[in-house]
Amino acid sequence: MPMPDWSRAIGVGLLIAFVPSLYAQTDEVRSASMLANTCAGCHGTLGASAGEVMPTIGGMDKGYLVAVLSDYKLGKRPSTIMGRIMQGYKDQEINAIASFYAAQPWVSTDRVAVADQLAEAPVLHERYCESCHQDGGRGQDTESPRMAGQWAGYLQYAMQACRDGERCHPRKMRDRVTDLSDDEIVALAHFYESQK
Amino acid sequence: MSTLTRRGFLTTSILSTAAVASTPRIALGAATPPRARVVVVGGGYGGTIAAKYLSMSDPSIRVTLIEKDPVYISCPLSNEVLGGERDLASLTFDYRGLTRRGIAVMQDTVVEIDPAQHLVKGASGNRYTYDKLVVSPGIAYDWDAIEGMSEAVAEQIPHAWKAGPQTRTLRKQLEAMDDGGVFYIVAPPNPFRCPPGPYERAAQVAHYFSNHKPKSKIVILDAKDAFSKQALFQAAWQEHYGDMIEWVSGAQGGIVEAIDPETRTLVGSFEEYQGDVINLIPHQKAGALAQVAGLANESGWCPVDQRTFESSIHKDIYVIGDACIAGVMPKSGYSANSQGKVCAAAILAAIDGEPAPAPSYVNTCYSIIAPEHGISVAGVYRLEDGKIVDVPGAGGVSPADADARTRAMEQQFALDWFRNITSDMFT
Repeated sequence: MPMPDWSRAIGVGLLIAFVPSLYAQTDEVRSASMLANTCAGCHGTLGASAGEVMPTIGGMDKGYLVAVLSDYKLGKRPSTIMGRIMQGYKDQEINAIASFYAAQPWVSTDRVAVADQLAEAPVLHERYCESCHQDGGRGQDTESPRMAGQWAGYLQYAMQACRDGERCHPRKMRDRVTDLSDDEIVALAHFYESQK
Repeated sequence: MSTLTRRGFLTTSILSTAAVASTPRIALGAATPPRARVVVVGGGYGGTIAAKYLSMSDPSIRVTLIEKDPVYISCPLSNEVLGGERDLASLTFDYRGLTRRGIAVMQDTVVEIDPAQHLVKGASGNRYTYDKLVVSPGIAYDWDAIEGMSEAVAEQIPHAWKAGPQTRTLRKQLEAMDDGGVFYIVAPPNPFRCPPGPYERAAQVAHYFSNHKPKSKIVILDAKDAFSKQALFQAAWQEHYGDMIEWVSGAQGGIVEAIDPETRTLVGSFEEYQGDVINLIPHQKAGALAQVAGLANESGWCPVDQRTFESSIHKDIYVIGDACIAGVMPKSGYSANSQGKVCAAAILAAIDGEPAPAPSYVNTCYSIIAPEHGISVAGVYRLEDGKIVDVPGAGGVSPADADARTRAMEQQFALDWFRNITSDMFT
């Protein structure tokens, strides 16, 4: 009777022990571009949206993107569909997606200003918005997204939703937009959209 | 792998004279030989994306896109043409944006693929050699499943399941129908292109009937006993259109076995239905090219490695979009978009001799039920044990109790989905 080949048996045992980790692909690290390119079907190639209520996200501040995407995931930021989508990603994947889009160039809309809609907008901007959304809405940081060159449809929705208490972050934003009429919000939205 | 690639290059250089002769635009780049040649067949939701993302990621790869038509007409949103909300021109795109990216766009019909020679043959007589081939052929119809149905009959009993002339035919038939008429939609069994499509179509036509022929009826004869976004559709139909839309499940007799096109009579398993206008959406399988090239299996669809979309049947040929078997992903435009990107990344890795990257896939799909009422379904997917599976806890449909503002936003997002996905494809 042949002796059992222990070294081979141990080898097979080790192989079996490693099989689950070899095939447990749920832990595979997915690249930033692999993760982020799935967003482009709705947000445009490299995050440059073709309009009009879908925001451009390419070139946004990374901290802002992480905060917004995490809030969607946690249900802290109301949404139609983003909450359902972001629940599918781990925190480090959200970080990778945010890094990817923050690294893209900002592409402003090609919309031009419509004079009579905008007469009061620069004044409103200075009075209500400039202290956070600096440089005419071009500046950005973790709390304040860029607005210059963003789609008016999205900005109008964001301001109205904030004013009406549906979705507002940070709190100080609500204090500002609460005084704005629908017409003023529309004027501001078109003003920012036309800025490059 | 490396020897194969080298052989691919050899073939490329031998045949390049012929290719250059037929495509002078390519000749400009001939001074520096491409690092690899990728041919993409089919310029729809999958093929455009694979071509564009390959070319964006690595300009040293020569990408050729072969499409039989000079322009593309989008299926998504074409139900709005039936509802009278838009025309086909608003769904029509050309390929100039991809040409500007350096992709060689060839208008040609592929008649044969020779996997051994890495060669694609066009009806024009052109031959295209490839190191990697992506096939995104869409769907074909299984005419034998319903007796009396054929490609010729479909000219008068349109399916309108590829947007184009048949969409126009069906719209005209609906316009010509008398008030009080009955419009039948025959919905196919799974799997098929655009799972919510027949039910959105019913809503769009009901929107038109409500305004113009309010006594008319819409009956969906379904081969299935359940369908996509079912609860949302049924509640919304009732809310907007009362009892105008009736759904007959397969178990209730909705399975259509035969049709008499002359009398517009549908033969169901229990009874016959006589309609004023009939939209018969046939049983489906992978597009004709997939069948001809032997890329489909006995199911009629194309088995692939779901990590890369490389065919399980032919090496170096990748199948994406509706034609492929992609785990739990539905056959939708967004799925094809997502698969095109995963496939492009896998091909790049293969050209570089690296292992295929870990994939990520998403589906989003909107249906417009009424002018200010949109609903959506989302899916987030990953690979597990070689199969595309749902990421648990993610995705799903719009909430049933969504308020008016949310519904209106979703209708807006449906239009922006279209703006952005088509800009992702064609610019």
